[in-house]
Amino acid sequence: MPLKWLLHWQPNAGASVNSQILTEVSQCADSMNGVKEGRWKSTLTFYRPVIRVQDQALTSELPRDFLGLSMHDQPNKYYFIIRAQRLVLEADLSIQSIMEKLQSYKTRVALNFEGIQYRLGDFQLRVGKVAPINSESLRGIVLEVEYLPISSLEKGRQIMAEFLEIWQEAVSKRSLPGHFMHMETNFADYGLSDHYSSQHTAVQYAIVMAQLIASAQLRS
Amino acid sequence: MSRFCFLVVQREAENKGLFSMECVVQGIIETQHVEALEILLQGLCGVQRERLRTHELCLKSAPNLGAVASEVRLLCDLEQTEPTWTVRHVGGAMRGAGAEQISVLVRTMVESKVSKNVLRLFYALGYKLDHELLRVGFAFHFQRGAQITVTVSSVNKMLKLHSTDEAVPVTPGIQLVEVTAPASPENYTEVVAAVSSFCEYLAPLLHLSKPGISTGVVPTAAAAAASLMSDGGGTTL
Repeated sequence: MPLKWLLHWQPNAGASVNSQILTEVSQCADSMNGVKEGRWKSTLTFYRPVIRVQDQALTSELPRDFLGLSMHDQPNKYYFIIRAQRLVLEADLSIQSIMEKLQSYKTRVALNFEGIQYRLGDFQLRVGKVAPINSESLRGIVLEVEYLPISSLEKGRQIMAEFLEIWQEAVSKRSLPGHFMHMETNFADYGLSDHYSSQHTAVQYAIVMAQLIASAQLRS
Repeated sequence: MSRFCFLVVQREAENKGLFSMECVVQGIIETQHVEALEILLQGLCGVQRERLRTHELCLKSAPNLGAVASEVRLLCDLEQTEPTWTVRHVGGAMRGAGAEQISVLVRTMVESKVSKNVLRLFYALGYKLDHELLRVGFAFHFQRGAQITVTVSSVNKMLKLHSTDEAVPVTPGIQLVEVTAPASPENYTEVVAAVSSFCEYLAPLLHLSKPGISTGVVPTAAAAAASLMSDGGGTTL
C-alpha cells in the first residue's frame, strides 16, 4: 500500500491548539489547489485492564498504553498497539467482539481523528481534528500525507521530505503559533519491513497520540 | 427468536447486533478405520479433502484479571507456507429444555484472523498459556443444507514448549471427528437439522454427539469399514 506519514500539530511554547488553526490549515490545502475528496475518520481507543481484586503485582505488569485503532481505509480491520513493548497486531474487526466477551479490558477513552481528504497530484492529504467521541473539544490536529505511487519507506523518504518542505512553507506564511511535526519511527523495532502497510499507520497513530498527550501535559 | 430458551444469546444479540454461533458434534474413531471414513466422506461431500495441521494454544486470564476468568484459543494453521493465525473465543452453550432435546451443541463462537504476533500480545495483556495441542489430520468443507466442516484428526501434545515437531498422540490409535457449521440466531434450527441429518450417514462408522458426552467407538465400525474399503465407497450404508 502507498507510503504514509502522519504528522501532528505542535503548538509553540505557551500556545494551545484551537479551531482557528484547523481552519487555516485546511485553507492551506485549498490554496495549494487541493481537490476535496470527502471526509475521513479513524478512531483510537485507550483500554484499561479490569482488575477483579486489587492486585498490585498484576497491575504493574499490565500495559498502560494498550491502544486499539479502526482506520478509515481499512474498514474490516482493527489494530492493537502496545507502544512500550513495540507491539502492533492486525486483526479482523471481529476481534472487538472477542475482547468484549473476554471482559478483561475496558475502554478508558476513545478519540476520533476526522476531517477532510484532499488530492494534490500523486499526494493525498488528510487534515484531521482530534476530539473525544461524543465531544467537540479539540485535543489536537493531525495531517496524513500519502504518496500514492510508492510503497517503500526508504524510496519515498526524499519525495515526502520535499513535499513537506513546500507544505510547511505554505503553513508558515500564515504565522500560526506552531508547526506540523513528523516523528521518525524505527518500524523494524515493531517487526515491520520497509514495505508500507496499515500496521505502519497504526504505529504512527500510537506515536502521535503519545506526543499529543505529552504536549498537553506540558501545557497544563 | 425461537422456541428455545436461550436468554444469554438473545441478550448478546440485542446488545451487539452481531455475533456468531456454531453447531458442533464430536465423535471418536479408531485410526485403522480412518481411511474408510475418508472414502465415505469423499463420496458424500464430493470435494477434495484438505490437509490439517493446526497448533492450538489455549490461554487463560491471569488470576484477578477481568470481570470474569476468561479463556481464548489461538490457532496457527501450519499447513500454509506462511503459517496463519486465528483467535477463537468459544462462548456458552445454548441452554434450556429445547437445547437438551437436540443432539447437536449450539454455542457462540467468534473468530478473528490476526497477524503472527498474537501470542505476544495476549501474554502482554496478562494471559497465560494453559495448554497447547497439535491437531493433525484432514478436513472436508462443503455445503449440505449448511456450510459444514468435518475434521478428522489425531490430537497430539508437545513434549517441550511449542515443539510441534516432537508431538505425540494424546490417545494413540484413536482420532477425533468433529462436525461443525456456522449459524446465527435466525437460522440455527435449520443448521442443527442439516448437521443431524449429515451425521446419520456416518452412523455405521462412528457416533457423533455433543462435545463432552463421549459415546465411544461403535460396534459396527469394523464391518462398515471393511465394506467401504472393498468397494471404494460405492455401497450405500
